[in-house]
Amino acid sequence: MSKSFDDILDECVDRINRGESIEDCLGSYPEHSEELQPLLSAMLDTQRAYKFTPSAEAKWAARQRFNAAREQLERRWEAKPPLFPRLLGRPVAWVAVTALLLIFLISYFGIIPILSPEEPGLQPSAAGNFAFLISDEVNAIGDFDSLSISISSIGLHLSGESGRWVKLDPEVQVVDLALLQGDRAQEIWRGDVPEGQYTKVFIRVSSVSGILKKTGESVNVKLPGEKLHISKPFEVTSSSETNFVYDLTVIATGSTQSGIKYILKPQVGQSGADQRFELINGKGADGRGQDRGPKPPRVTPSAPSSGIQIPDACEIQESGVVSSAMAY
Amino acid sequence: MNNGILEINRLIARSETRVMRQEESTSERRRKEATLAALYDEYYERIARYVFVRLRDWAEAEDLAGEVFLKALESLDSYKERGIPMQAWLFKIAHNMVVDHFRKTAKRKTVPIDNVQITAESDLQRTAEANIELARVNKAVEQLTPVQRRVIELRFFGELTSEEAGQVLNKRAGAVRELQSAAIRRLRKLLCEES
Repeated sequence: MSKSFDDILDECVDRINRGESIEDCLGSYPEHSEELQPLLSAMLDTQRAYKFTPSAEAKWAARQRFNAAREQLERRWEAKPPLFPRLLGRPVAWVAVTALLLIFLISYFGIIPILSPEEPGLQPSAAGNFAFLISDEVNAIGDFDSLSISISSIGLHLSGESGRWVKLDPEVQVVDLALLQGDRAQEIWRGDVPEGQYTKVFIRVSSVSGILKKTGESVNVKLPGEKLHISKPFEVTSSSETNFVYDLTVIATGSTQSGIKYILKPQVGQSGADQRFELINGKGADGRGQDRGPKPPRVTPSAPSSGIQIPDACEIQESGVVSSAMAY
Repeated sequence: MNNGILEINRLIARSETRVMRQEESTSERRRKEATLAALYDEYYERIARYVFVRLRDWAEAEDLAGEVFLKALESLDSYKERGIPMQAWLFKIAHNMVVDHFRKTAKRKTVPIDNVQITAESDLQRTAEANIELARVNKAVEQLTPVQRRVIELRFFGELTSEEAGQVLNKRAGAVRELQSAAIRRLRKLLCEES
Protein backbone atom coordinates (compact mmCIF):
# COMPACT_ATOMS: atom_id res chain seq x y z
CA MET A 1 0.00 0.00 0.00
CA SER A 2 1.49 3.35 -1.00
CA LYS A 3 1.81 6.12 1.54
CA SER A 4 -0.50 9.10 1.46
CA PHE A 5 1.03 12.53 1.01
CA ASP A 6 0.15 13.45 4.60
CA ASP A 7 2.11 10.41 5.80
CA ILE A 8 5.11 11.32 3.64
CA LEU A 9 5.05 14.92 4.89
CA ASP A 10 4.79 13.61 8.44
CA GLU A 11 7.79 11.35 7.93
CA CYS A 12 9.80 14.27 6.52
CA VAL A 13 8.91 16.46 9.53
CA ASP A 14 10.19 13.70 11.81
CA ARG A 15 13.38 13.31 9.77
CA ILE A 16 14.09 17.06 9.82
CA ASN A 17 13.48 17.10 13.58
CA ARG A 18 16.10 14.36 13.83
CA GLY A 19 18.60 16.51 11.94
CA GLU A 20 18.24 15.38 8.33
CA SER A 21 18.10 17.97 5.56
CA ILE A 22 15.19 18.78 3.25
CA GLU A 23 17.24 17.35 0.37
CA ASP A 24 17.55 14.00 2.14
CA CYS A 25 13.81 13.75 2.36
CA LEU A 26 13.17 14.98 -1.18
CA GLY A 27 15.62 12.35 -2.39
CA SER A 28 13.50 9.64 -0.81
CA TYR A 29 10.33 10.90 -2.53
CA PRO A 30 11.37 12.45 -5.86
CA GLU A 31 7.83 12.09 -7.22
CA HIS A 32 6.57 14.44 -4.47
CA SER A 33 9.57 16.75 -4.26
CA GLU A 34 7.87 19.67 -5.99
CA GLU A 35 5.03 19.65 -3.49
CA LEU A 36 7.13 18.75 -0.47
CA GLN A 37 9.90 21.30 -0.91
CA PRO A 38 7.94 24.54 -0.18
CA LEU A 39 6.13 22.95 2.75
CA LEU A 40 9.33 21.75 4.38
CA SER A 41 10.92 25.15 3.74
CA ALA A 42 7.99 26.76 5.57
CA MET A 43 8.63 24.37 8.44
CA LEU A 44 12.30 25.33 8.62
CA ASP A 45 11.50 29.06 8.37
CA THR A 46 9.13 28.73 11.30
CA GLN A 47 11.60 26.76 13.41
CA ARG A 48 14.40 29.21 12.65
CA ALA A 49 12.30 32.26 13.48
CA TYR A 50 11.53 30.95 16.96
CA LYS A 51 15.03 29.60 17.48
CA PHE A 52 15.68 29.51 21.19
CA THR A 53 18.09 27.55 23.32
CA PRO A 54 17.74 27.85 27.06
CA SER A 55 20.89 28.98 28.84
CA ALA A 56 23.08 26.32 30.39
CA GLU A 57 22.82 28.15 33.73
CA ALA A 58 19.03 28.06 33.72
CA LYS A 59 19.04 24.40 32.75
CA TRP A 60 21.56 23.57 35.46
CA ALA A 61 19.67 25.51 38.11
CA ALA A 62 16.38 23.86 37.13
CA ARG A 63 18.03 20.44 37.27
CA GLN A 64 19.37 21.21 40.75
CA ARG A 65 15.89 22.20 41.90
CA PHE A 66 14.50 19.01 40.38
CA ASN A 67 17.13 16.88 42.11
CA ALA A 68 16.52 18.61 45.43
CA ALA A 69 12.75 18.08 45.11
CA ARG A 70 13.34 14.45 44.22
CA GLU A 71 15.56 13.98 47.22
CA GLN A 72 12.97 15.60 49.47
CA LEU A 73 10.24 13.35 48.08
CA GLU A 74 12.43 10.32 48.58
CA ARG A 75 12.85 11.22 52.24
CA ARG A 76 9.10 11.72 52.58
CA TRP A 77 8.46 8.36 50.93
CA GLU A 78 10.87 6.62 53.21
CA ALA A 79 9.05 8.05 56.19
CA LYS A 80 5.59 7.32 54.77
CA PRO A 81 4.87 3.61 55.38
CA PRO A 82 3.43 3.21 58.85
CA LEU A 83 5.69 1.20 61.06
CA PHE A 84 3.12 -0.79 62.96
CA PRO A 85 1.48 -2.70 60.07
CA ARG A 86 4.97 -3.48 58.77
CA LEU A 87 6.00 -4.98 62.05
CA LEU A 88 2.70 -6.75 62.58
CA GLY A 89 2.79 -8.19 59.07
CA ARG A 90 6.36 -9.43 59.37
CA PRO A 91 7.37 -11.35 62.44
CA VAL A 92 10.93 -11.28 61.11
CA ALA A 93 10.77 -7.53 61.45
CA TRP A 94 10.46 -7.93 65.21
CA VAL A 95 13.83 -9.66 65.18
CA ALA A 96 15.27 -6.82 63.12
CA VAL A 97 13.81 -4.19 65.44
CA THR A 98 15.22 -5.99 68.46
CA ALA A 99 18.60 -6.21 66.77
CA LEU A 100 18.49 -2.52 65.92
CA LEU A 101 17.57 -1.67 69.49
CA LEU A 102 20.51 -3.70 70.70
CA ILE A 103 22.84 -2.00 68.24
CA PHE A 104 21.50 1.35 69.35
CA LEU A 105 22.05 0.56 73.02
CA ILE A 106 25.54 -0.74 72.36
CA SER A 107 26.34 2.32 70.27
CA TYR A 108 24.89 4.66 72.85
CA PHE A 109 26.82 3.25 75.75
CA GLY A 110 29.91 1.93 74.06
CA ILE A 111 30.69 3.86 70.92
CA ILE A 112 30.54 7.57 70.22
CA PRO A 113 28.66 8.09 66.96
CA ILE A 114 30.85 9.56 64.26
CA LEU A 115 28.43 12.33 63.44
CA SER A 116 24.74 12.89 63.84
CA PRO A 117 22.55 15.85 62.94
CA GLU A 118 21.96 16.67 66.60
CA GLU A 119 25.65 16.59 67.25
CA PRO A 120 27.39 19.91 66.63
CA GLY A 121 30.10 20.09 64.00
CA LEU A 122 33.79 20.15 64.82
CA GLN A 123 34.72 22.84 67.30
CA PRO A 124 36.58 25.78 65.83
CA SER A 125 39.89 26.87 67.29
CA ALA A 126 42.06 29.92 66.72
CA ALA A 127 45.03 27.90 65.50
CA GLY A 128 43.91 24.99 63.43
CA ASN A 129 45.15 23.09 60.40
CA PHE A 130 42.19 24.19 58.30
CA ALA A 131 40.34 27.39 57.41
CA PHE A 132 37.20 27.68 55.30
CA LEU A 133 36.66 30.90 53.39
CA ILE A 134 33.91 32.32 51.22
CA SER A 135 34.59 34.44 48.14
CA ASP A 136 32.63 35.75 45.18
CA GLU A 137 33.60 35.68 41.51
CA VAL A 138 32.47 38.83 39.76
CA ASN A 139 29.48 38.25 37.49
CA ALA A 140 26.28 40.08 38.34
CA ILE A 141 27.37 41.05 41.84
CA GLY A 142 27.84 44.61 40.56
CA ASP A 143 24.03 44.93 40.48
CA PHE A 144 23.88 44.47 44.25
CA ASP A 145 24.34 46.87 47.08
CA SER A 146 24.46 43.88 49.38
CA LEU A 147 23.90 40.16 48.94
CA SER A 148 23.81 38.40 52.27
CA ILE A 149 23.78 34.64 52.47
CA SER A 150 23.26 32.59 55.61
CA ILE A 151 25.36 29.46 55.81
CA SER A 152 24.10 26.98 58.38
CA SER A 153 26.63 24.20 57.90
CA ILE A 154 29.66 23.08 55.95
CA GLY A 155 30.43 19.49 54.94
CA LEU A 156 33.79 18.07 53.86
CA HIS A 157 33.93 14.60 52.35
CA LEU A 158 36.88 12.56 53.52
CA SER A 159 38.01 10.05 50.91
CA GLY A 160 39.28 6.59 51.68
CA GLU A 161 37.63 3.71 53.41
CA SER A 162 35.72 5.76 55.95
CA GLY A 163 34.24 7.97 53.24
CA ARG A 164 32.59 10.01 55.93
CA TRP A 165 31.51 13.61 55.96
CA VAL A 166 33.10 16.02 58.38
CA LYS A 167 30.60 18.61 59.51
CA LEU A 168 31.58 22.15 60.47
CA ASP A 169 29.31 24.75 62.06
CA PRO A 170 30.42 28.10 60.67
CA GLU A 171 31.60 30.67 63.19
CA VAL A 172 30.43 33.39 60.84
CA GLN A 173 27.04 32.45 59.51
CA VAL A 174 26.10 35.49 57.44
CA VAL A 175 28.39 36.86 54.77
CA ASP A 176 27.84 39.70 52.34
CA LEU A 177 29.05 38.59 48.90
CA ALA A 178 29.12 42.20 47.69
CA LEU A 179 32.15 42.67 49.95
CA LEU A 180 33.89 39.54 48.71
CA GLN A 181 34.42 40.24 45.04
CA GLY A 182 37.40 38.91 43.14
CA ASP A 183 40.20 37.65 45.38
CA ARG A 184 38.59 39.00 48.54
CA ALA A 185 37.57 36.22 50.88
CA GLN A 186 36.10 35.96 54.35
CA GLU A 187 37.03 33.24 56.80
CA ILE A 188 33.96 31.59 58.30
CA TRP A 189 35.55 28.64 60.10
CA ARG A 190 38.98 27.78 61.43
CA GLY A 191 40.04 24.81 63.46
CA ASP A 192 41.40 21.29 63.30
CA VAL A 193 39.92 18.76 60.92
CA PRO A 194 41.08 15.16 60.49
CA GLU A 195 44.12 14.76 58.28
CA GLY A 196 43.59 13.20 54.88
CA GLN A 197 42.43 13.64 51.32
CA TYR A 198 39.08 15.36 50.88
CA THR A 199 37.12 15.09 47.67
CA LYS A 200 33.95 17.12 48.00
CA VAL A 201 32.63 20.12 49.83
CA PHE A 202 29.16 21.47 50.39
CA ILE A 203 27.69 24.46 52.12
CA ARG A 204 24.10 24.51 53.29
CA VAL A 205 22.61 27.92 52.52
CA SER A 206 19.54 28.65 54.59
CA SER A 207 18.65 32.05 53.15
CA VAL A 208 19.71 34.66 50.63
CA SER A 209 18.84 38.32 50.77
CA GLY A 210 19.86 40.78 48.08
CA ILE A 211 19.45 44.56 47.82
CA LEU A 212 19.78 46.08 44.37
CA LYS A 213 22.04 49.08 43.87
CA LYS A 214 19.81 50.82 41.34
CA THR A 215 16.52 50.70 43.18
CA GLY A 216 17.50 49.93 46.75
CA GLU A 217 14.82 47.24 46.70
CA SER A 218 15.27 43.68 47.85
CA VAL A 219 15.31 41.10 45.09
CA ASN A 220 14.69 37.38 45.04
CA VAL A 221 17.86 35.40 44.37
CA LYS A 222 17.24 31.79 43.47
CA LEU A 223 19.22 28.93 44.87
CA PRO A 224 19.61 25.74 42.86
CA GLY A 225 19.22 23.83 46.10
CA GLU A 226 19.72 24.18 49.81
CA LYS A 227 23.04 22.37 49.64
CA LEU A 228 25.58 23.64 47.16
CA HIS A 229 28.06 20.89 46.33
CA ILE A 230 31.36 21.09 44.56
CA SER A 231 33.93 18.40 43.81
CA LYS A 232 37.34 19.86 44.48
CA PRO A 233 39.91 17.53 46.00
CA PHE A 234 42.35 18.87 48.57
CA GLU A 235 44.57 17.58 51.33
CA VAL A 236 44.76 18.45 55.00
CA THR A 237 47.88 17.64 56.99
CA SER A 238 48.80 18.38 60.57
CA SER A 239 52.09 20.00 59.56
CA SER A 240 50.61 22.75 57.41
CA GLU A 241 47.58 24.97 57.22
CA THR A 242 45.01 24.48 54.44
CA ASN A 243 42.87 27.42 53.41
CA PHE A 244 39.90 26.29 51.34
CA VAL A 245 38.17 29.07 49.40
CA TYR A 246 34.57 28.31 48.43
CA ASP A 247 33.66 30.64 45.62
CA LEU A 248 30.08 31.64 44.93
CA THR A 249 28.81 33.75 42.09
CA VAL A 250 25.52 35.36 41.28
CA ILE A 251 24.44 35.32 37.65
CA ALA A 252 21.67 37.24 35.94
CA THR A 253 19.32 35.66 33.40
CA GLY A 254 16.48 37.08 31.34
CA SER A 255 16.24 40.46 29.72
CA THR A 256 15.34 43.93 30.86
CA GLN A 257 12.00 43.55 29.06
CA SER A 258 11.00 40.31 30.72
CA GLY A 259 12.73 40.98 34.01
CA ILE A 260 16.15 40.02 35.28
CA LYS A 261 16.38 36.98 37.51
CA TYR A 262 19.33 36.19 39.72
CA ILE A 263 20.71 32.76 40.50
CA LEU A 264 23.37 31.97 43.06
CA LYS A 265 25.70 29.09 42.21
CA PRO A 266 29.05 27.69 43.26
CA GLN A 267 32.01 28.54 41.08
CA VAL A 268 34.14 25.42 40.92
CA GLY A 269 36.99 26.94 38.92
CA GLN A 270 37.57 29.64 41.51
CA SER A 271 37.17 27.34 44.52
CA GLY A 272 39.73 25.16 46.19
CA ALA A 273 42.72 25.03 48.48
CA ASP A 274 44.99 26.40 45.76
CA GLN A 275 43.22 29.72 45.27
CA ARG A 276 44.87 33.05 45.97
CA PHE A 277 42.83 35.27 48.21
CA GLU A 278 42.90 38.52 50.08
CA LEU A 279 41.51 38.03 53.55
CA ILE A 280 39.08 40.68 54.66
CA ASN A 281 38.01 41.48 58.21
CA GLY A 282 36.52 38.30 59.59
CA LYS A 283 33.38 39.86 61.04
CA GLY A 284 30.27 38.62 59.31
CA ALA A 285 27.15 40.58 58.51
CA ASP A 286 25.73 39.32 61.78
CA GLY A 287 28.56 40.92 63.71
CA ARG A 288 30.02 37.62 64.81
CA GLY A 289 33.28 36.02 63.83
CA GLN A 290 36.82 36.95 64.55
CA ASP A 291 38.99 39.65 63.19
CA ARG A 292 42.29 38.10 62.31
CA GLY A 293 43.47 40.79 59.96
CA PRO A 294 44.90 40.26 56.50
CA LYS A 295 47.04 37.23 55.80
CA PRO A 296 49.31 36.52 52.89
CA PRO A 297 47.78 34.26 50.30
CA ARG A 298 49.01 30.72 50.48
CA VAL A 299 49.03 27.92 48.03
CA THR A 300 48.36 24.35 48.99
CA PRO A 301 48.81 21.60 46.40
CA SER A 302 45.59 19.90 45.41
CA ALA A 303 44.28 17.50 42.81
CA PRO A 304 42.64 18.91 39.68
CA SER A 305 39.02 20.01 39.68
CA SER A 306 36.40 17.56 38.56
CA GLY A 307 33.56 20.01 38.11
CA ILE A 308 30.26 20.74 39.80
CA GLN A 309 28.81 17.79 41.64
CA ILE A 310 25.12 17.21 41.14
CA PRO A 311 24.03 15.48 44.33
CA ASP A 312 23.63 11.81 43.52
CA ALA A 313 25.37 8.67 44.69
CA CYS A 314 27.35 10.36 47.38
CA GLU A 315 24.60 12.54 48.76
CA ILE A 316 25.07 13.12 52.46
CA GLN A 317 22.52 11.76 54.88
CA GLU A 318 21.42 13.67 57.92
CA SER A 319 23.52 11.29 60.00
CA GLY A 320 26.60 12.48 58.20
CA VAL A 321 27.47 9.30 56.38
CA VAL A 322 27.32 8.60 52.69
CA SER A 323 23.86 7.55 51.59
CA SER A 324 22.93 4.86 49.13
CA ALA A 325 23.01 5.65 45.43
CA MET A 326 20.30 7.69 43.75
CA ALA A 327 20.91 7.13 40.09
CA TYR A 328 19.83 9.80 37.64
CA MET B 1 -9.48 -20.61 70.87
CA ASN B 2 -9.23 -21.84 67.28
CA ASN B 3 -11.39 -18.92 66.16
CA GLY B 4 -9.05 -16.51 67.91
CA ILE B 5 -6.00 -17.99 66.15
CA LEU B 6 -7.82 -17.83 62.80
CA GLU B 7 -8.70 -14.19 63.41
CA ILE B 8 -5.04 -13.36 64.21
CA ASN B 9 -3.93 -15.20 61.06
CA ARG B 10 -6.45 -13.21 59.02
CA LEU B 11 -5.19 -9.96 60.53
CA ILE B 12 -1.60 -10.88 59.74
CA ALA B 13 -2.52 -11.86 56.17
CA ARG B 14 -4.40 -8.59 55.67
CA SER B 15 -1.56 -6.46 56.95
CA GLU B 16 0.91 -8.45 54.85
CA THR B 17 -1.17 -7.66 51.77
CA ARG B 18 -1.20 -4.00 52.75
CA VAL B 19 2.57 -3.99 53.18
CA MET B 20 3.04 -5.69 49.79
CA ARG B 21 0.80 -3.09 48.13
CA GLN B 22 2.77 -0.29 49.76
CA GLU B 23 6.03 -1.84 48.59
CA GLU B 24 4.68 -2.21 45.05
CA SER B 25 3.52 1.38 45.10
CA THR B 26 6.93 2.57 46.34
CA SER B 27 8.82 0.63 43.70
CA GLU B 28 6.43 1.83 40.99
CA ARG B 29 6.93 5.39 42.17
CA ARG B 30 10.71 4.97 42.10
CA ARG B 31 10.53 3.54 38.58
CA LYS B 32 8.47 6.49 37.38
CA GLU B 33 10.85 8.94 39.06
CA ALA B 34 13.80 7.32 37.32
CA THR B 35 12.00 7.55 33.96
CA LEU B 36 11.24 11.22 34.56
CA ALA B 37 14.83 11.98 35.56
CA ALA B 38 16.08 10.19 32.45
CA LEU B 39 13.84 12.37 30.26
CA TYR B 40 15.13 15.57 31.82
CA ASP B 41 18.15 16.28 29.64
CA GLU B 42 16.40 15.59 26.36
CA TYR B 43 13.08 17.21 27.11
CA TYR B 44 13.97 20.27 29.19
CA GLU B 45 15.06 22.16 26.07
CA ARG B 46 12.16 20.95 23.96
CA ILE B 47 9.66 21.99 26.59
CA ALA B 48 11.40 25.34 27.02
CA ARG B 49 11.15 25.91 23.24
CA TYR B 50 7.51 24.83 23.21
CA VAL B 51 6.74 27.24 26.05
CA PHE B 52 8.81 30.02 24.46
CA VAL B 53 6.75 29.89 21.26
CA ARG B 54 3.65 30.49 23.34
CA LEU B 55 4.97 33.04 25.84
CA ARG B 56 7.74 34.62 23.73
CA ASP B 57 9.68 35.28 26.85
CA TRP B 58 13.04 33.60 27.33
CA ALA B 59 13.28 33.84 31.06
CA GLU B 60 9.69 32.71 31.61
CA ALA B 61 10.19 29.80 29.21
CA GLU B 62 13.30 28.65 31.07
CA ASP B 63 11.55 28.96 34.42
CA LEU B 64 8.37 27.25 33.32
CA ALA B 65 10.26 24.35 31.72
CA GLY B 66 11.87 23.68 35.11
CA GLU B 67 8.49 24.02 36.82
CA VAL B 68 7.01 21.43 34.44
CA PHE B 69 9.43 18.80 35.77
CA LEU B 70 8.74 19.77 39.37
CA LYS B 71 5.00 19.56 38.75
CA ALA B 72 5.45 16.19 37.06
CA LEU B 73 7.44 14.94 40.04
CA GLU B 74 4.68 16.04 42.41
CA SER B 75 1.97 14.44 40.29
CA LEU B 76 3.75 11.17 39.48
CA ASP B 77 1.14 9.19 41.39
CA SER B 78 -1.51 10.31 38.95
CA TYR B 79 0.56 9.27 35.94
CA LYS B 80 -0.47 5.89 34.56
CA GLU B 81 2.32 4.08 32.77
CA ARG B 82 -0.09 2.29 30.49
CA GLY B 83 -1.74 5.54 29.43
CA ILE B 84 0.30 7.96 27.40
CA PRO B 85 4.11 8.08 27.20
CA MET B 86 5.68 10.23 29.87
CA GLN B 87 7.06 12.75 27.36
CA ALA B 88 3.55 13.41 26.03
CA TRP B 89 2.33 13.76 29.61
CA LEU B 90 5.02 16.37 30.23
CA PHE B 91 3.72 18.44 27.32
CA LYS B 92 0.19 18.18 28.71
CA ILE B 93 1.52 19.61 31.98
CA ALA B 94 3.41 22.29 30.05
CA HIS B 95 0.24 23.24 28.18
CA ASN B 96 -1.76 23.49 31.42
CA MET B 97 0.95 25.59 33.02
CA VAL B 98 1.03 27.97 30.06
CA VAL B 99 -2.77 28.31 30.27
CA ASP B 100 -2.45 28.97 34.02
CA HIS B 101 0.25 31.51 33.32
CA PHE B 102 -2.00 33.39 30.92
CA ARG B 103 -4.86 33.20 33.38
CA LYS B 104 -2.69 34.63 36.12
CA THR B 105 -1.38 37.44 33.99
CA ALA B 106 -5.01 38.05 32.91
CA LYS B 107 -4.10 38.76 29.36
CA ARG B 108 -1.61 37.33 26.97
CA LYS B 109 1.74 38.71 27.83
CA THR B 110 3.05 40.52 24.82
CA VAL B 111 6.63 41.43 24.40
CA PRO B 112 7.02 43.89 21.56
CA ILE B 113 8.56 41.94 18.74
CA ASP B 114 11.15 44.67 18.24
CA ASN B 115 12.35 44.16 21.76
CA VAL B 116 12.66 40.38 21.68
CA GLN B 117 16.25 39.40 22.08
CA ILE B 118 16.99 36.98 19.30
CA THR B 119 20.57 36.03 19.95
CA ALA B 120 23.28 36.90 22.38
CA GLU B 121 25.36 38.20 19.51
CA SER B 122 26.01 41.87 19.26
CA ASP B 123 25.49 41.88 15.53
CA LEU B 124 22.74 44.48 15.34
CA GLN B 125 21.98 43.94 11.69
CA ARG B 126 21.49 40.22 12.13
CA THR B 127 19.38 40.80 15.20
CA ALA B 128 17.21 43.27 13.33
CA GLU B 129 16.77 40.80 10.47
CA ALA B 130 15.87 38.05 12.90
CA ASN B 131 13.30 40.36 14.52
CA ILE B 132 11.71 41.07 11.18
CA GLU B 133 11.60 37.37 10.32
CA LEU B 134 10.09 36.53 13.71
CA ALA B 135 7.40 39.17 13.22
CA ARG B 136 6.60 37.73 9.79
CA VAL B 137 6.39 34.13 10.99
CA ASN B 138 4.57 35.12 14.13
CA LYS B 139 1.88 36.91 12.14
CA ALA B 140 1.40 33.82 10.00
CA VAL B 141 1.26 31.42 12.96
CA GLU B 142 -1.30 33.62 14.70
CA GLN B 143 -3.64 33.13 11.75
CA LEU B 144 -3.74 29.35 12.06
CA THR B 145 -6.66 27.77 13.88
CA PRO B 146 -5.93 27.06 17.58
CA VAL B 147 -5.69 23.32 17.01
CA GLN B 148 -3.45 23.74 13.96
CA ARG B 149 -1.22 25.98 16.03
CA ARG B 150 -0.95 23.38 18.77
CA VAL B 151 -0.06 20.68 16.27
CA ILE B 152 2.68 22.89 14.87
CA GLU B 153 3.96 23.77 18.35
CA LEU B 154 4.10 20.14 19.42
CA ARG B 155 5.60 18.85 16.16
CA PHE B 156 8.05 21.66 15.30
CA PHE B 157 9.18 22.79 18.75
CA GLY B 158 8.29 19.96 21.10
CA GLU B 159 9.55 17.59 18.38
CA LEU B 160 6.95 15.01 19.37
CA THR B 161 5.88 12.38 16.87
CA SER B 162 2.36 12.53 15.47
CA GLU B 163 1.39 9.67 17.76
CA GLU B 164 2.70 11.52 20.82
CA ALA B 165 1.15 14.82 19.71
CA GLY B 166 -2.13 12.93 19.28
CA GLN B 167 -1.86 11.66 22.84
CA VAL B 168 -1.39 15.20 24.11
CA LEU B 169 -4.33 16.48 22.05
CA ASN B 170 -6.56 13.41 22.54
CA LYS B 171 -6.61 12.81 18.82
CA ARG B 172 -5.66 9.91 16.56
CA ALA B 173 -2.26 10.10 14.89
CA GLY B 174 -3.99 10.16 11.50
CA ALA B 175 -6.01 13.20 12.52
CA VAL B 176 -2.81 14.93 13.68
CA ARG B 177 -1.16 14.21 10.31
CA GLU B 178 -4.12 15.73 8.48
CA LEU B 179 -4.13 18.77 10.75
CA GLN B 180 -0.37 19.12 10.33
CA SER B 181 -0.60 18.96 6.57
CA ALA B 182 -3.34 21.61 6.48
CA ALA B 183 -1.42 23.77 8.95
CA ILE B 184 1.83 23.69 6.97
CA ARG B 185 0.05 24.44 3.70
CA ARG B 186 -1.69 27.42 5.30
CA LEU B 187 1.54 28.54 6.94
CA ARG B 188 3.32 28.38 3.61
CA LYS B 189 0.62 30.46 1.95
CA LEU B 190 0.58 33.05 4.73
CA LEU B 191 4.38 33.31 4.79
CA CYS B 192 4.44 33.91 1.05
CA GLU B 193 1.79 36.60 1.41
CA GLU B 194 3.74 38.26 4.21
CA SER B 195 6.95 38.35 2.24
